[in-house]
Amino acid sequence: MSLVQTLFYMMSFIALASAAFVAATKNLVRSIFMFFITLFALAGLYVLALADFVAITQIVIYVGGILVLILFAFMLSGKETLDAIAQQRNKFISIKKIPAFLLAGLFLIVLLNMIFKVDADNLTWIKRAVTVKNEILPNSSMTENIGINLMTKYLLPFEAISILLMIALIGSAHLSRKGERQ
Amino acid sequence: MNFYITYFIIAIGLFSFSALFALFGVYAERKVSAFIQDRLGPTETGKYGTLQTFADILKMLQKELITPAAADKMLFILAPAIIFIAVYLGFAALPWAPGLVPAKLNLGLYYIFAIISIETLGILMAGWGSNNKYSILGAMRSAAQIISYEIPAGFALISVVMIAQTLNLQDIAAQQGILSPEKIKFSGFWDVSSTGGIFAWNIFRAPHLLIAFVIYFIASLAESNRAPFDIPEAESELVAGFHTEYTGLRFALVFLAEYSMMFLVSMVGVILFLGAWNTPLPNIGMVQLATWTTGTTWGILWIIVKTLALVGVQMWIRWTLPRFRVDQLMALCWKVLTPLAFACMLISGVWRLWLM
Repeated sequence: MSLVQTLFYMMSFIALASAAFVAATKNLVRSIFMFFITLFALAGLYVLALADFVAITQIVIYVGGILVLILFAFMLSGKETLDAIAQQRNKFISIKKIPAFLLAGLFLIVLLNMIFKVDADNLTWIKRAVTVKNEILPNSSMTENIGINLMTKYLLPFEAISILLMIALIGSAHLSRKGERQ
Repeated sequence: MNFYITYFIIAIGLFSFSALFALFGVYAERKVSAFIQDRLGPTETGKYGTLQTFADILKMLQKELITPAAADKMLFILAPAIIFIAVYLGFAALPWAPGLVPAKLNLGLYYIFAIISIETLGILMAGWGSNNKYSILGAMRSAAQIISYEIPAGFALISVVMIAQTLNLQDIAAQQGILSPEKIKFSGFWDVSSTGGIFAWNIFRAPHLLIAFVIYFIASLAESNRAPFDIPEAESELVAGFHTEYTGLRFALVFLAEYSMMFLVSMVGVILFLGAWNTPLPNIGMVQLATWTTGTTWGILWIIVKTLALVGVQMWIRWTLPRFRVDQLMALCWKVLTPLAFACMLISGVWRLWLM
């Protein structure tokens, strides 16, 4: 087995094991810190797939932003509330969980379908891209490529997302404003 | 397999460098603070107290590692390691001299920015794991401060990147001296590609980058939790903030991280704004000062001198200015630094389009 394969299996194992821990543990704060390991292993997998820009963005946004905000919410909610949640008795199968099971099951079917149907080694669009030299090599620079594509081919989705973010920003600023005195 | 050994040697070298710097930094901090407050500082251990920090670290190595009974043991033990590793990983992408860089990443700057943000998580881990109200207050203050100040710092960095057109730290460094592959102009009008020296540094390439540098420097003080932004460990209110419960080697690790962070943010500032490993001496006619003082050894010397000067300024500020209140801290970040950083970014775009 080559080094790349070893690394791939190692990081996939870490990602899966830590994700299982996140889902199974009762200690919510620990599960958040474990989620950090999951995200890091995923970032490693992105690097192996030559998507280093995506890997670093994942760390900036999820680890530096979202995880810290989730932890903030935990720390503001106090130990008693968290203990109460941890002590809740949970049966594995219950009425409340049916929608979740349904969604997860359907998604699993879709994924399995994909895996068995797709012949990953000879996809037509990949072959076409290789013949017209429209591919990214290990030593080519990702950032320029992403920048040019965002400003040309994907300009409309890019602008739509920026407007969405703007709306969220204005909305949160409005919500956090002090109410006027009646 | 030979290059794997090189990797290990480089990693160990960077670690021992940060440890040595922490030893030196603590001593310098005590001497600088003593000078500013008109005291003597450490004098007893060794000549002029030079062995004081060695004595301190010996004491810390011998101390018992106390874990509070009510602490979340896993998080408590892991936190100092994560705080330090986050800073230590950042050193991997920093260039030291022409052609001398541990990891040649074409996303170097972005990588450092990402890695630094992991430190917040370690601090929150320490605060929560200690199960102490002072620790948790300190950790929350620290996280709030770091994620707020990342925004002006990020935009100040982007305004440089827009001028330099690359995220590769080695390329940004090379653009600021006589080795530059492209034409450099001193504030947009005077061609200094062959003159080099201090005139080719990024802060002089475009005048607004001077403002961006000040914004970055202020934000970097906040990100390394140094005074006047040290409310996370405000001694008068919070005992010692997030590291209240740590003893011995773990406490030493937290301190090592703080000093390494000071060096890291200063070095990033030097690379982006103050000419990295380029010499400050320009070529004047026949006197080719810049050509004589550019090279691997000179590069290492210049970058260390400049970084230590910035670290010195950090210490000077710490012992001169009083601590900010939380609301003042946030007002400074959101109402002053962030709009200014945005303005810098805008000017950078215009500058790149019309003046370069």
